[in-house]
Amino acid sequence: MDFFETIMFPFKWLVSVIMVGFHEGLTVIGLPAANGWTWTLSIIGLVLVIRAALIPVFVKQIKAQRGMQLLQPDLKKLQDKYKGKTDQLSRQAMAQEQMAMYKKHGTNPFSACLPMLIQMPFFFALFQVLSGISSAKTQGKGIGAMSQEQVIQFDESSIFGAPLSSALLHGGATNVSVVVLSIVMILAMTASQFITQKQIMAKNMSEEAMASPFMRQQKMMLYILPVVFGVGGINFPIGVLIYWTTTNLWTMAQQFFVIRRMPTPGSPAAKALAERRAAKGLPALPILGGKKADAEAEAAAAAAVIEQKGQRVQPQRKNRKKK
Amino acid sequence: MHNVTAAVVHILPGVAAAGRVIWNLPKNILILLLMAYRKVISPLYGQVCRFFPSCSAYALEAITVHGAVKGSWLAARRLARCHPWNAGGVDHVPAGHRRWPENRTPRIVVLNNPDKYLAAQTDGEGRAAA
Repeated sequence: MDFFETIMFPFKWLVSVIMVGFHEGLTVIGLPAANGWTWTLSIIGLVLVIRAALIPVFVKQIKAQRGMQLLQPDLKKLQDKYKGKTDQLSRQAMAQEQMAMYKKHGTNPFSACLPMLIQMPFFFALFQVLSGISSAKTQGKGIGAMSQEQVIQFDESSIFGAPLSSALLHGGATNVSVVVLSIVMILAMTASQFITQKQIMAKNMSEEAMASPFMRQQKMMLYILPVVFGVGGINFPIGVLIYWTTTNLWTMAQQFFVIRRMPTPGSPAAKALAERRAAKGLPALPILGGKKADAEAEAAAAAAVIEQKGQRVQPQRKNRKKK
Repeated sequence: MHNVTAAVVHILPGVAAAGRVIWNLPKNILILLLMAYRKVISPLYGQVCRFFPSCSAYALEAITVHGAVKGSWLAARRLARCHPWNAGGVDHVPAGHRRWPENRTPRIVVLNNPDKYLAAQTDGEGRAAA
């Protein structure tokens, strides 16, 4: 076992144990153990576990983005300070000041590096498990928590006549089902990614964010990722594609939910939510909605709070009179 | 005898240079890997880091300034700090002992310390104008 395999071993074990756990559970409730759909559902179960584990990180990020509204004036000041200074060093200086500002306000719109980095070995482990099935079968071995029988079972199972362990470019090109299913999933992944990205850009970005250079990168992603899906899609086995497609669909659903229920302040989606709430006669959420009108409303609210505090002093006077 | 010493004197700088190349190899391999990551993979994710400089910029500077071993250790500690329950903010690489000739400061060091080098830059411009 080389160095790399030693590092990957615990991840492979964890990934396979979750999948096998789902498989056992599904057979207990009566699904046929050797059926491709049972294994497909196990893979989907694995996606659900991994993505659900990441929900707290995601919620934290959403909350931080909502908190951004409060530092909009400071952010504007900073942008004015660096207006027209387009050289790289000035931009770095601006980024530095911006980060210091986020820390000062205790709200940071970025999700941090560690959660992203932790996902990588898991995805890689899953890939190794699913794509290693065929060779493990011929070598007569198990993978991680999967026994030899389960490896054989997985390798021989199929959906719509396409074996879960076959890939389009690696022996699957002769099987029409594999070709069709691979292409369908590549298209599904690309479509869901396009829709997610378009949704974010069209509905859930404040005007400031739309104008930032960061947007250029985002737009590039729109065209790079479909290529990645396409190249991966014809190389990876059906099992990996099921995982990938499900993750993408989760991301899309999560984004729909966020845009509808917790949109970015100052974005069209936030205005839409404010209108929906107004139509139902619900009070406006203070943190969402327009920019200037909102700041004024906040100032008025703050003034009201101060007034209230002033009034609360009165009972003390009454007490004094009693003495 | 004289010829032998002359030959040794000729060979020594070559040996020293080769030694330096080998000594710096781990550091330079890591620097190349980090640069490739920052060019190719990082843009796919957009900004996720909660710090300035970002974790990859921090790692690149740390390894440039402190070498492969201490630099990697510093970078690993920074990554451990970059989680959603840390407020983030400005977090510079601690100063190291490596020195560079003027105008030969590595680009990443300049970019990660805009305060210091922006002041130096405007200073230089002022002097040039005067």
